Formats: sequence, structure tokens, C-alpha cells
Amino acid sequence: MNISRCRSLIAVGFTLCITAQSVNAETLRLLTWGGYAPKIVVDMFKAETGIDVEVTKSNNEDMIAKLSATRGGGFDLVQPSQDRIASAHAEFNIYKPIDMSQIDNKLFVASMLDATLKSSMYEGKSYGVPHIWGTSGLIVNSEQAANVKDYTDLCNDTYRGKVTYRLKRPTLIAFAFSMGLDPFAAYDDPAEYEKIMLQVQDKLISCKANVKAYWSGGDAMKNLMRSNETVAAMAWDAGGWQLNDDNKAISFVAPTSGALGWIDAFAIPRKSKNESAAYKWINFVMQPKVAAMITDSAGNFTASKGADDFVNASLRAKYKASFDTAAIDNIKWYPPVPAGLEMIEGKVLDRIKAAK
Amino acid sequence: MLNHMEFDLQCTDIVRKFDDFTAVDHVSFAIKKGSFFSILGPSGCGKTTLLRMLAGFDNPTSGEIIIKGKSMNGVAPNKRPVNMVFQHLALFPNMNVSENIAYGLHRQGINKVEIKHRVEQVLARVNLAGSGNKQITQLSGGQKQRIAIARCLVLNPDVLLLDEPLGALDLKLREHMKVELKQLQQEFETTFVYITHDQSEALVMSDQVAVMNHGQFQQVGDPQQLYYQPDNAFVAGFVGDSNKWSASVIDILPDSLKVKTTTGLILSVSKVDNKSLIIGSEVDIFIRPEAVHISQQVTANLQDNHLNIKINNILFDGANSQLLVEEQNSGEEIKVKLPQTAEFMHLQKGDKLQISFPFQQVKTFPKELEVS
Amino acid sequence: MKTIGTANARTPIKLGLLLLLCPILLWLFLLVILPQLTMLNISLQERVAPRIYEYGFSNFIAFFTEPLYWNTFLRTAIMSIIATILTLIIAFPISYYIAKMLRGRAKGLLFVLCLIPFWVSELVRTYGWMILLRESGVISTFLQYIGLVDGPIEFLYTDATIMLGLVYSSMLFMVVPLTSTLDSLDDSYIEAGYDLGGNGFSVFWHIVVPHAKPAIVSGCIVVFMLTLGNYLTPILLGGKSSLWFTEQIFTQFITRFNWQQGSAFGVLLLSISSLIVWLGLKLSRQSFSKVMS
Repeated sequence: MNISRCRSLIAVGFTLCITAQSVNAETLRLLTWGGYAPKIVVDMFKAETGIDVEVTKSNNEDMIAKLSATRGGGFDLVQPSQDRIASAHAEFNIYKPIDMSQIDNKLFVASMLDATLKSSMYEGKSYGVPHIWGTSGLIVNSEQAANVKDYTDLCNDTYRGKVTYRLKRPTLIAFAFSMGLDPFAAYDDPAEYEKIMLQVQDKLISCKANVKAYWSGGDAMKNLMRSNETVAAMAWDAGGWQLNDDNKAISFVAPTSGALGWIDAFAIPRKSKNESAAYKWINFVMQPKVAAMITDSAGNFTASKGADDFVNASLRAKYKASFDTAAIDNIKWYPPVPAGLEMIEGKVLDRIKAAK
Repeated sequence: MLNHMEFDLQCTDIVRKFDDFTAVDHVSFAIKKGSFFSILGPSGCGKTTLLRMLAGFDNPTSGEIIIKGKSMNGVAPNKRPVNMVFQHLALFPNMNVSENIAYGLHRQGINKVEIKHRVEQVLARVNLAGSGNKQITQLSGGQKQRIAIARCLVLNPDVLLLDEPLGALDLKLREHMKVELKQLQQEFETTFVYITHDQSEALVMSDQVAVMNHGQFQQVGDPQQLYYQPDNAFVAGFVGDSNKWSASVIDILPDSLKVKTTTGLILSVSKVDNKSLIIGSEVDIFIRPEAVHISQQVTANLQDNHLNIKINNILFDGANSQLLVEEQNSGEEIKVKLPQTAEFMHLQKGDKLQISFPFQQVKTFPKELEVS
Repeated sequence: MKTIGTANARTPIKLGLLLLLCPILLWLFLLVILPQLTMLNISLQERVAPRIYEYGFSNFIAFFTEPLYWNTFLRTAIMSIIATILTLIIAFPISYYIAKMLRGRAKGLLFVLCLIPFWVSELVRTYGWMILLRESGVISTFLQYIGLVDGPIEFLYTDATIMLGLVYSSMLFMVVPLTSTLDSLDDSYIEAGYDLGGNGFSVFWHIVVPHAKPAIVSGCIVVFMLTLGNYLTPILLGGKSSLWFTEQIFTQFITRFNWQQGSAFGVLLLSISSLIVWLGLKLSRQSFSKVMS
């Protein structure tokens, strides 16, 4: 009942949105993550091009859900993670290919651009260019949980009711690596992948007593860490660095089994009404100085070539403290998710949630 | 004091105060076993408060209620040997007739067979045998009335309290129910305490009537006493129909008084047993319409009051028909009973007649201080 | 053919009535019936390959074969029933007090006091509870301050907390119908009940409850449906083990993009909860139209 209402409301909402937007063509409707489009950058873009940017904050699942509801409408530019573009497009037909002629590829770190173009490939066409990258790993309060070095350490009996992580696919993959398994190698073999996931499922169910709460928003996680209600978390590196500003004992730690590397990309929805503004925005935010401003706001580094020089020193110092060369080499970058794997993960996540 | 056992209900010096308002003011009375006792008074006189104290829904500020020789102070309503018929009857709408009547019996823990038997018995006694399965909404006004009474009487209460139960009925049914209530009371031989503002109900049914005003009993007596020998101006005015005038004493004779009304009409009236009455004292005088004799010929009797009048209006109401007449000199208006005899059939508006009434028929009361 | 002809002749369609009904019919069709039908349609599709769907019952079968879903629904339904009963038990004395014991201004005041919590959104109210109950929250801190406990206590994330939140947020929907119905019960019925020898319990059971029964049943239906369909309260107060069926639906729609499964759950939630309400009505021997009037 609620959901059916919700569904019709979403539909009505989007219809209104589309009609309202078509009146004013010079608007860019951007669906992105919190911190990726800070107000100062939006204002600069408006001053330079005269285009208003309308920012909607979201996450990977929500982006796909919104776009699949409208078959790729409602927004002009979205920012899903690069590994989830091709599979979502295969399933729901929601994106249009990137027109590389409109992109200034000199602005990008070449290796990242190539990797993203390749990973977002569907039927010979690329659907994404990279924007911001970062890692998932551990945020540890060194005074109270100095022994947490890897994901599986979160399940140590010492930390009963004192840890927090998300109940999402990165957690499953992280625990798999930490348990000595290689889920990415099994991406193309659903049967093998399911076997791995079932092992992770057992581990996370037995670990459930340690979990204070499954966090779903970055602020909720930071709250739990700040109030000392939890002493260790699996979370994004940027979150750890931000917590470090308030409490020196808390910081991001790259796990021994390797941090999980992600790249959030740009993709153009199939029914984008203002493609040219979308390309203008991409080229605008990839300028080194603008990219550095976004890094300051989001806490993560960008794929903009040369931007690191403009990033403030303390963030660079924190990054250096968390990642030595070996840790950077050990980062496990997400390969594109084959369609259908998420069904397996979904059931596993449901069972963990339901376990006592 | 008299022997307790003769009385079902005794009240001594009952007072009920609400903040600074006294609803019931030092009321004492005793009701004989098996009698029909009415409390008659205008609305707001305190009769409902008094009845609720008898039922136990309210407690006297001071004074004592004794039922069958037992003090009821501090006894809850459900422990008192009295039952009440409510103004709107309060028959439970979610129960049928039998269930309504059986409700009180169930509370006494009587077994089902016995209950069934007693319910049937009481239904037969109120002439509603076989109606046990009817819903309350299927009953007529009179039937509801009888069920409400049966619901109480089946419990054999020492005293049955009735709170103006006939108020909601239409006139015809009300007249009928008056007779029926009286019969039921005699048949069940239960003591009834009946409160009403309708004097006719009180007079027709009661063995004893208490007239109540401003929280006090004005007079307690049988209906004839109240009608013919009212103790005070309030009772004289409230019970039955009267012509009421304010007057002042102009002469004191051995047997009677001469008074002059505010409009200047001079009348001979009965003498009051009140020493303080002097010439010039203010009095209220009452004469009932049926005590006035009308005639078309002039008769000479100096002791009586003789007045020349003109008919202002004829109020035809069958046996209760009245003439509204105007005294020729003073213009005072008088209500006179119009006998439905051949002699007066042809009377018309504007006709001139003579009326007369003996001074004994005119009740005189010293003017009371107005109670605000 | 003949029967059809006569039937039409007997009931001529009144255009005026039809026009008057138009808005409500449109409303019902567009916002209630159409979405439900669409949902039913989606729920009957099963994915065979990317972008390819076929009609089938696999989504419904999944509900019954995967114990997880079935148990979640059962748990949600049982918790909702318990919450409904608790709400009734707590709301009844409150309503009775407001309707029968109080007079004049005090009556209105207390009634408004019951309404005030509902002037803020459910989200704010739930966060209010979280501020009170969390480990570093008001109650835990206070208990430590007065020395009753040594360390912080976590009150959140238990079934009892979910129950507390559900009962709290349902209270109004029970108090309002109960108060207005009890208000309409003439005092003389209660007095008659006592007068004829009844004690507090028998008056309550034989006179007050039968009178209030339609309100009790309608309050229970509303509270049950609201609780069953509640999303925020169980998720926020229940935390890691909330396990609420609407959460399952939300997850299917939003995080799994599995609209087919989510729709099937939606259809099942509607039909099974309707069944429970129907059973409740049968057991209490009430008719739906009477209860809702």
C-alpha cells in the first residue's frame, strides 16, 4: 500500500519535474553524491556559462532506482560508480554513450580515463568517464581498538556491540577478501560467486552481535564514532579523515587485505534534456583548480590531472598517513559488476539482516 | 420517632451543597411501606439531586438516609435495596428485552433457570409476555416504559425511584401510563418515589405528595390536602389552577378580611391565622376558577363577593373550558370555570354576567419576601 | 437478451449522479485501483535475462519458499497485532477518562494534549525517541548521573523499543474514535448498570464495551494497518534487527531494483493484511460498513 503510493508519487513527481524543467532549458539537473557539487563550484559555473545546476544528492542504488523508474529520464547527468554503469544499463537501458568528442581528455589522468571507459563498455560503446576516486576500508579509534587491522577483526569478541558497517555489497566483497577469498575472480562464474557469498554470509551472521547498527548514511556513521558508541567501522576513507579533524585518535586505516578502490563516474541518462550542459559541467569540474575545490568538499581525490597540487596540505598528509606505497598497490579496484550478481548478493544481505 | 419498620424510607435533615449553592436544604421525610410518594416541584428545585442521593449516585453534605431501618451513608448504588427508572429509561440498546431484565438478576448470581423463570414472570405481570426476544428499538414508548419498570421490579427492591419517566411520552400515552403506573405499584406493593414537575401526574398517582421549591419541602400531604388546604402561597399557586392577586388589607372583620387588589378591586377573603397581620399588610390571595359561580340573574347575598363582569374570551377545552372575564370597575382579569351545561351554551364574547364566590374560598397568605 | 433489456429499462443511468461521482471515481481509479493493478502486473513478471521478462508466479513462489520473507511477514504481523492490543489497552482508560470523567475545559485540554505530538512529523518524533534512548542519550546519561547504573545502557535496537515507538505513534488513531464514541454513551446507562447491582467490571464489560465495540474495532483496524505499513519507526528504533516487511519491500524496490519482487510483496501485504482484518471482523462479529461509519 505504502509502496504503491510511493510508486505513483514518484511517477507523478517525475512527470511534474520534467514539465517544469522543459520550460527553462538552461538548467543542468545533476544527480550526484553529497559533496561532489559544492555551492561555490555551482556558482562559478553559473557565472561562467549562465547555466543553473540543480543538485540532487543520492547514492548508487538510489540513482539506479530513480533512473530505472523513469527509463532514464528526470536528470541530465548522473554520477554512479564506474563498476555499476554497464550492468545497470544492460538491465534497464537507462544511459546513452559518452560522446568523447565533447570531452577534453587532456584534463583526465589517462590511466583512470582508460580504465573507466573500458569498465563502462556495453556492446562496444563506453558509457562513463571518471570523476572522483576513493577507497573503502576501516575507520578505527586507535585508543580503543588498536588491534583492528583487517575487516575480519571487526568480528573479534572484544568489540561486542562496538562496531558498525553498512549492509551493502562492498561489505560482502571486503569480508570475502579478508577471509582469503577472491570474489572479483569469481565475477564471471555465478555458481562460484554464490559459494563465496554464502561463506561471507555465515561469517557476517556470526558477527552480528558485534554490530551496533548497520549504518546507511555517512553522518550516522560519523555520529556513532564521535560519540564512542562504536570504536571501529568499515567506511570510506574521506569519512575517517574528517573524523580525524575532531578526534586525533580516529582515522582511516587501509586494511591488510587491501582497501577497495572505487571510482565515481559521469554518465548521461538516456533521456537527458541538456546534454551540452552536461559536457560543459564535466569539462568545467575537471579543471585542476576546480577539482581541488571539490576534493576539499568531498574529502576524496579526483581523476583530474594535476589537481593534487592544489589540494590542501593536511588532506594530503592524512592520505599519505593512511596509504604507503604498498597499501596503494594493494588497493582492489572494482571490476564492472556482471548483470545478475546483485540478485545473489541481495538474498545474502536479506538473510544477514534477518538473522538473530 | 415512629417505629422504623413502618417506613421503607426515612430522610433526616438532608443537605446537599454545591460550592455555595444549596440544592437540597434540610429536608426530612418518611415514606410508609407500600405507598406511592411523589416529589413535585419546578425544574431546578432540587428534586433530582434528592433522588440521586436516594439512589446513591450522590451523597448528602449532611443528614442521613435510612432504608428499611439501615443507614445508607457510604453505601454504593449497587449495594442499595433501591432501583431507579431513569428519565430516558436507559434500557441497554445492545441487549434484548430479556437480557435487559436479566441483567440485575445475573449480577446477584442467580442460576440461569431461575432467571429465565423470573424474567418470564415479570414480563407477564407487565403484560408483555412473549416479548423477551424483541430488541429495544422494536418497542413502543409505553412498552419501553413497562420494560424499564419490570427491569427494576424483578429485583424486588424496597424502594423504586422514578425520575420523570413519563416526560418523553405524548399526552394520550401519558394519561394512560399514569393509570398503569398506579396499578403496577399497587400490584407489586412496592414503595414508589416519583419525581415530577407535572402536578397532574403527582395528584393522580400519589398517596403522598411533597411540594418542593428552592431545595425545601413546602408541604407534604395527600393530594386533597395540597389542593384544598395549601400551607403557603407557593403551594397554592403551584398545585392546581388559581387566580392570583396581590392585595393589601383594608379591614379586619371577625370572620374575614377585606382587601383591595393593586387594580382597586375590593374583596372579602378568608382570615389568616397570623397575628402580625394589620391593616395595610400586603397579602397574596388565590381563588380557584371552579370555585367561582357565574349567573345571569342578580342574586343578593351580602356576605359573598359579587362582581359584574364582561366576557373577554372563551377558552373551550371540553370539561376544562374556562372563561376569561374582566371586572367592570377595576378591569381585573379573572379565570372562571365554564360548566358545560345548557344554561351557558350560548355565551359569547362581550356578554355581561355576574360572578360570585364565598370569602371562605379565597385563600389568603401574607406576602412573602421575594426569594431571588 | 431480453433480461438485459429489462434490466436497463429498470435502472436508467442518471447522468447527474454520474457527474457528481466523477471526482471520487477518478480519484479511486487513478490513485488506488490503477497503481494496484500496475503493481499486480509487474509482480507477475519474472526476469529471464537482462531486459527480458515473462509472465509467471516465481515472485510469489519466492515469498513462500524463502523462509526469510515469510518469517519477516509473520513477525511483522504478530508485532503489529501485539502493538494494536497494547495501544487499545493503554488508550481505553485515557479515552474513558477524557470522555467520562472530565468536563468542560479540562476535557478539551487533555484531548489537545493527546494531539500535540502529532503536529510534528513521524520522523521528528522518532528521532526524539532516539535522542532519549540511545546509549549516549538522555535517559542513559541521567541514570548514570543519579548513580543507578555504572555504565551507559543501550535502550535502542530492541523489539521492545520498536513496540514502544509503534504504540506511541498509533495512540491518536485509537484515542480519537474511542473518545468520541464513549462521549456519546449517556451517563445514565452506566448509572443504570450500577443501580441494577453491577460492579465496576460488569458495567465495563456488559455496558461500556458493547457500546464502544464499533470504535474499538475501527481503531484496531486503523492501528493495525498503520503499524503493518509503518516504515520509519521500526527501521530507526529497531536498527540492525528491525526486520519489518515494508523494509523488505523498500529494499526490493530501491536497493535491489527488483520491482517485480517488490510488487509481489506489496500485493501480498495488501491481501494478507486484508485477510487478517477480515478475520478480526468475523471474530468480533462486526461488519466493516458499520465499524467505519
